[in-house]
Amino acid sequence: MNNRLLAKSQLSPSNQLYSAIDLGLKSTAWVLVAIIALAPLFGVVIGLWPAAELDWAAISRFLGYNGLAYSVASTLLLSLVAPLIALYIAFMVYSQYRFNRRWQSLEKRLAPLLSLPHLAVALGLVYLFSSGGMLWSVLWGFVGQTAPEWLGLPRKSMLTMILAISIKEVPFFLLIFSAIGRQLAIKQWLLQGRALGYSESASWWLIVFPVVLKQSRLAVLAAMAYTLSVLDISLLIGPNIPELYAVVLYNWQTGFTPDEQTFAFLGNLLLIAMLGVLIACIYIHERLVTKQLANQAVMANPLNITRLSGVFTAWLGFFSLLTLAILATFLLWSLGWNTHSTFNTANWSTSLWQDEWFFMQGPLLNSLHIAFFSSILGVGVTLLALELQRHNKRYFPDYLWLLAILLPQLSMVYGWQIVHTSSNASYHSSWIILSHVPFTFAYSYLVLRGPFQSLNRHYELVAASFGYSPWQRWWKVRFMLLRPALLSAFAIAFSVSIAQYIPTLMIGAGRVATITTEAVAIASGNEQSITAVYILVQAALPFIAFLVASILAQRTRGSVDAEHQ
Amino acid sequence: MMWQTSKHANIRSRIGFFNSFGWANLALLFAVLLSVLSVSPVALGNSTLKETISELEASQQWQQTLKEARGQTVYFYAWGGSKPVNDYLRWAAREIASRYKVRLRHVKVADISEAVSRLKAEDGSKSAIDLLWVNGENFSYLKAQKLLLGKLPSAIPNTTLLATEQLSLHNDFGVPMEGYEVPWGVGQFNLIANQSLFSAKNPEQTSITPADILSAAERNPGRISYPRPPEFHGTTFLKQLLVALTNSDPRLFALATPNAQQQLLPVLWHYLDKLHPIIWQNGSAFPSSNTEQLALFTQQQLDLAVSFNPNQMAKEQSEKRIASNAQRLFFDGGAITNSHNLAIPKGAQSPAGAKVVIHFLLSELAQKHKVDGSWGDPAVITPLLDPASTLPAQQELHSSWQQVIEDTWQQKYGA
Repeated sequence: MNNRLLAKSQLSPSNQLYSAIDLGLKSTAWVLVAIIALAPLFGVVIGLWPAAELDWAAISRFLGYNGLAYSVASTLLLSLVAPLIALYIAFMVYSQYRFNRRWQSLEKRLAPLLSLPHLAVALGLVYLFSSGGMLWSVLWGFVGQTAPEWLGLPRKSMLTMILAISIKEVPFFLLIFSAIGRQLAIKQWLLQGRALGYSESASWWLIVFPVVLKQSRLAVLAAMAYTLSVLDISLLIGPNIPELYAVVLYNWQTGFTPDEQTFAFLGNLLLIAMLGVLIACIYIHERLVTKQLANQAVMANPLNITRLSGVFTAWLGFFSLLTLAILATFLLWSLGWNTHSTFNTANWSTSLWQDEWFFMQGPLLNSLHIAFFSSILGVGVTLLALELQRHNKRYFPDYLWLLAILLPQLSMVYGWQIVHTSSNASYHSSWIILSHVPFTFAYSYLVLRGPFQSLNRHYELVAASFGYSPWQRWWKVRFMLLRPALLSAFAIAFSVSIAQYIPTLMIGAGRVATITTEAVAIASGNEQSITAVYILVQAALPFIAFLVASILAQRTRGSVDAEHQ
Repeated sequence: MMWQTSKHANIRSRIGFFNSFGWANLALLFAVLLSVLSVSPVALGNSTLKETISELEASQQWQQTLKEARGQTVYFYAWGGSKPVNDYLRWAAREIASRYKVRLRHVKVADISEAVSRLKAEDGSKSAIDLLWVNGENFSYLKAQKLLLGKLPSAIPNTTLLATEQLSLHNDFGVPMEGYEVPWGVGQFNLIANQSLFSAKNPEQTSITPADILSAAERNPGRISYPRPPEFHGTTFLKQLLVALTNSDPRLFALATPNAQQQLLPVLWHYLDKLHPIIWQNGSAFPSSNTEQLALFTQQQLDLAVSFNPNQMAKEQSEKRIASNAQRLFFDGGAITNSHNLAIPKGAQSPAGAKVVIHFLLSELAQKHKVDGSWGDPAVITPLLDPASTLPAQQELHSSWQQVIEDTWQQKYGA
């Protein structure tokens, strides 16, 4: 302890105690946050390292794997294009709905629209829109003809994959925008834009878009990382000549020849490198767009994209209809309807539901309690991480916090599993909750960081001037201001936890079955009726979370948002 | 054994008695006798089997196993993608609980390699897995890494029932089982086709040749496909084509020498070069698995599906998922036949419970329920052997061919 501090402590002994406790608390908190945030890196290092013995011959065999270049290129293209399409569509939808009576209904409906799993969207799209799919058959059935082949969506292709992901990610970006938008004075900006002589739609692009783009970097990255490594829908609707990279990597990871093990190791490194490329692309894209928009603004050129935006006033209707159609398809399947039956001849029955319901209750309860606790913990640790950084007046790069989203999950969890089994730990569900926390943490960080950083400090200053203690200020002002964003973060974290398959199975050793472990296993058999039952139940869980969050968020609005309305 | 010899002696004395009836009668008698003899070994075998098993069940070793197993929970890692299989295991769990007071928990996995990866991580220490459903390369890896419990047959009475000789159950894809796994069911590669597909064929005919498939594809462009290798069913489809196209060249059943590869494989690639442009999506995409192909078949996107379960078509028809006039076919030279098996990890926490589960799953009751129920998986035990419903078997290729076929396919058509 140096002299200055000593001198200070002699002045007020209670202060010294306070700062010591503060220091102790803070370092404990840092350790906790670091453990959660760095657990993914730790897992990957453990999970990957001992697997491979490298030599140049193996590396050259890896590089010579036929189709590697194609599948890397096509996967990069997909991971870049699909999330960006979704981002642009979401922004156009946002600009069409935000200051409109329609916004209310959009916010209300975002919940059910978000909760449909990716697999369900992929299956549903293909089933409805492929040639011979339900929709075309019905439409052409009226004319008494069969739909032409070229009209249908191919069952397996890049196009189908891009379409499915870009459609599915739009509501995710809308949720992110709605969290970001609450903290931005968009209405004033639009007024300023008008004062400068720009139309409202031009102002959206020239003023709002660059800011939103910057603030949603993390969300874009998360969507890209997801697209890069998603396995189930890649297998189902992705092109497979060549296969998408996630599938190739999975085949290596589950193989046992020495070559396959080496390839898996190198393949994971390549996956991380691909992520690096995508991160670079995000920055390049952002810079290009900002520059382009600035040019347009200076030259006062008309923005072509504003004409397109108008189309998306119909988005909510379209997307709701699509969701309903997909849900209806699954419901019909689960009740025994199939391609061989017409409405009259199908053996309608609820026996599948009755059969499975008995066996579903345990997994359901497991899913619910794991998701509840892991998302509470995830959101809590996120708040802690943000507070600590604010105190330090320095924010670490986002990529450090999002490792759980960015690093390859299979090797990560494999590393955890090695530690878990070698420490002879039990397979209790609390371990599963812990294994979900890095993921719920990363996603809630993604949702919360923007709102947290752009929080208006003015209110807290006012509260301080009224004599509120720091804790009171935090709880009564900041927490309340953050509440809508916290609720979104909780709902997202909850649905992230619900969707976890690999950590649940690998850490819980299958002894703790959840709806998702059951659903994934059952979906692997491609039996449509029973898959439909599990997908419907699996979709219902996040739906409940989003619904509760949106109801609570609407109740707590009012004064907070009034400023920006 | 005593009983057996005395019966033969009895027959011989009757021959002596009938001798006076003359040669014509003797010939008739011979015919009757032959038919009696051809039936009796099975009947005799069955009753001795039952005796042997009840002896084994009474043995102290087994009684000890039963005692240890009581109250244990057995975590059974098995593919969970099939409702019939899941339902079967639910039934088995109820039976096992009431008979042996052992709780069977089916841990559903999307791919059994997940269990293998867990065993790899545990590295022989205390395992979360008590029992797993396995075959092929997964078994070969686990056996090579010494992660499995051995000497299963001597520890489980009902393994005596296994029709090891008749079904050639010694090897699992060329790897000797050597007691590290126990056969549970049999797979025979077959095709399920819409009746229209091979209409030129006589509908009574049940086997096809590669040429039939090619001409069917010409007549029905875009309606045929197969799972993308290295998916197991896809690779088997290629193996069947290769055997048929080379007239079962003996070199296919020995190590794949470079010379043999050069001489035998081109005929397969030449065939596929002709086939691919006229199949589903012009060969620019393939179903990812047999189950996906079956789903496309039931959605009437394809006219051909593949299966390892010879009874699958009948079961799908009874569930009204596929048309009642669909045909089950197999390749002319015979269906590639293999078994799927049960193994216990070395580090299992309830090895006694796992043995009891295997014992039950091999029992006549369980095997009968497996073949008669919605699953339809053929039995592997002697009392239920049914030659009539078994397809002619084709010997599995030497295991070295698998990698060669998959790698070359990837080189030629994978990108």
